Amino acid sequence: MTLLELKDLSVDYGRVRVLAGLSLSLRAGQVVGVVGESGSGKTTLAKAVLRTVESTAGQVLVDGRDITRLRGAALRRWRRSGAVQYVFQDPLRSLDPGVRIADSIAEGLRIAHVPAAIARERVDAAVQAVGLDADLLPRLPSGLSGGQRQRAAIARALVVEPRLLVLDEPVSALDAASRDKVVQALIALRRGRGEQLGMLVISHDIGSLAAMSDRLVVLHRGRIVEDGLTQQVVAKPQHPYTRRLIQSVPVIDIRLPNRPAPLARS
Amino acid sequence: MTRSPRPSRGSWTVRLALVLVGTVALLAIAGPALAPIDPLAQDTGNLLQGSSSEHWLGTDYLGRDVLSRLLAGAPASLLSALAAALIGLVVGALPGALSAFIPRVGEWLALRVVDALLALPFILFAIVFAALLGNGLVQATTAIGLLIAPGFFRVSRAATLRVRDAQYVEAATLLGGSAWWVLGRHVWRQVAPTLVVASISALGSALLAVASLTFLGIGVQPPAPTWGGMLASDLGYLAQRPEGPLAPALAIIFTVGALNLLADAVRDRVGMVTAHARAARPPATRKESVHV
Amino acid sequence: MSDIDLVTPTAESGFADVTASPTGVTLNRSFDEGSVVRPAIAAVDRLVLTAADGTELVHGVSLAVRPGEALGVVGESGSGKTLTCRALLGILPSGVSVTGGSVRVDGREFTTASERDWRSVRGTRIGAVFQDPASYLNPAIPVGAQLAETLRVTAEVPRTKAKQRARELLDDLGIRRVDLVLRQRVAELSGGMLQRVLIAMALAANPAVLIADEATTALDVTVQAELLELLARLRRERGLALILVSHDLAVVAQVCERVLVFRDGRVVEGGATSRVLRAPGHPYTRSLLSAHAAYGLERFLR
Repeated sequence: MTLLELKDLSVDYGRVRVLAGLSLSLRAGQVVGVVGESGSGKTTLAKAVLRTVESTAGQVLVDGRDITRLRGAALRRWRRSGAVQYVFQDPLRSLDPGVRIADSIAEGLRIAHVPAAIARERVDAAVQAVGLDADLLPRLPSGLSGGQRQRAAIARALVVEPRLLVLDEPVSALDAASRDKVVQALIALRRGRGEQLGMLVISHDIGSLAAMSDRLVVLHRGRIVEDGLTQQVVAKPQHPYTRRLIQSVPVIDIRLPNRPAPLARS
Repeated sequence: MTRSPRPSRGSWTVRLALVLVGTVALLAIAGPALAPIDPLAQDTGNLLQGSSSEHWLGTDYLGRDVLSRLLAGAPASLLSALAAALIGLVVGALPGALSAFIPRVGEWLALRVVDALLALPFILFAIVFAALLGNGLVQATTAIGLLIAPGFFRVSRAATLRVRDAQYVEAATLLGGSAWWVLGRHVWRQVAPTLVVASISALGSALLAVASLTFLGIGVQPPAPTWGGMLASDLGYLAQRPEGPLAPALAIIFTVGALNLLADAVRDRVGMVTAHARAARPPATRKESVHV
Repeated sequence: MSDIDLVTPTAESGFADVTASPTGVTLNRSFDEGSVVRPAIAAVDRLVLTAADGTELVHGVSLAVRPGEALGVVGESGSGKTLTCRALLGILPSGVSVTGGSVRVDGREFTTASERDWRSVRGTRIGAVFQDPASYLNPAIPVGAQLAETLRVTAEVPRTKAKQRARELLDDLGIRRVDLVLRQRVAELSGGMLQRVLIAMALAANPAVLIADEATTALDVTVQAELLELLARLRRERGLALILVSHDLAVVAQVCERVLVFRDGRVVEGGATSRVLRAPGHPYTRSLLSAHAAYGLERFLR
């Protein structure tokens, strides 16, 4: 069942066409990684799916419903329904520093006037799903590590029981240890929620994307140049840009076939 | 390595300022009750006397006890300063915060109105106000309040703007929160400390303004004592009693000074909190060109 | 001490025996083949750096770079790798000082060198580029003018020739449309281009070694690959020595024949890159390798 479908989506900023005719589909239970470098339009893609930016042409269908023309109160209603949720790159900025973690996580439920008892249950479930220690709930964001904060941000997105989770550079602002924790949390989440949740992960880092995603979509200058299973895209890239991208990633194992030798004399 | 924020003047300053301001507040409430002698009673045999066992601070040109007049005049001056500051806060702060959320045109208009009010010379405005609406303390207070309001508008707006563009506000919006939700949940928390500091400063300015107006005779209803009024009349008898103006002058200076000290101390405290919050943020890493 | 001593570095030749000493851990001295005939351009020997409040930040680190070689320095932030490089340039942050060991340039003692002494080697013997290129340039002036200024000051190129020389330098780095780039300001150029300009500025006076401290970290991976290729070419064509500092072991593995692994202000492992990757001695190095195995692309490419 198609959860998200982009049909010929185009977004212009003034006279610049940032996204050009994107077509992409994602089913419930899938994790799709969108890899793009600077200027590829990946952030705009996230914004288009979240409706924080107006698209110029094409459609964004969530559960079959075109959300591109939603406005005002209708848009807020759609947001409160929690079909699509978003996780920002930097949890230090995306969490209110003066609000306790428990309250931040529950925010979406309070906005939607969910009764306190049910809210409590959902918060506990989400916190468990991301592997966050319940002892951390009464703390302020400054009392948590980077990885814990990001997991709290993911929990905040999860409590409204979204069908689609959009993550924009979820691990880029974190150090290596935190990155690992968050990736593991997302993989566990995927296993736990399985068919109910779809994830769209956007990043410049192919390595962490490949660890989490079933499919890889390569974005270059506002266009999708490759879309396929992770293993295929990395091992047998078709498009010249994808090939260049894969070959640019530094490797340690020099015995790999079809890789240019490292630049060092060894 | 982050540098620690500038050390505050110490929490003893806050305590000292609170004690001083507390004393003044007490006087504002209980002043007249504490007056040893009826402030209106004229001791015609003892005009313009220096301090004595009966009149601790001496007498004025009508033989009235200065200390009693000071204490009796406290509420008038202090409470009207408080009223003016409150008027300013209410009229200025909420519109200021809301102005960050209204569309461009409305925003522009609001800012121009505020600019116009800020440009008005305050004493002139007060005089015109009094001429139009009557020469009473209420009118004078309202005039001062209206002229303080733009300051609150600006402070409130600036603080709100900083928060409006924060990512956690965007996050709340994505969760379906309306502008009111964002205001109450996120903006208020960040703006309140700044408003507290602004209010304390405004109190000091308002008191000075009330004293100036009553000095000029606006808003004063003789023979009721006000500090500014006492100062004015004492200056008229400098030759006979040079130390006369000292009492009301010092009362004004003491109070305004205490309020400013309190405002500074609270500002330091608030500053330290925000500095710590800023230090907790990792340094921004600049990525390639503009993020699209 | 003569140069020959320096040339038998303590940390690079393999993780043999470890001996604890008052200044920290020292690794056994062992001979590094071919090292006898090439004196180090820049080196630190058992360097100890201390902060203003007395905390020791770097505990006895030894590092040497010889002409034409590429030395990699791997470590997380806080490991002391950047401070050590700054010591090699005489630009330690205020409050941090050398409290042990020595710093040498061309065999000359530079541990307590004056600013004037450092100026004589900065740019002319040792050049450097760092992480955020935009913050090292004036945003209001075209980059060409800043490059020309560096040429005049550091390389003592006369004013009339500076512009032409700037053009040549950028051309050498493989930049097309050089004249256009020279006219641009910081905001109009990409990170990769800015870093190339900074590399040009660092190499303006033909130093023997270039220190690149996380120079590619904030850049896209394709741009990083281009810059690493550029650095390799500069090594081949000019015999430029390189100290490449990164938190990414794979980046260092691409370019450097020798690598030092830093952790908490110490060198925990060092030696030939192929040996360190194949048979890591220290648990920390092993953890870096397994982290790479989890997030690198190798597992898809086998």
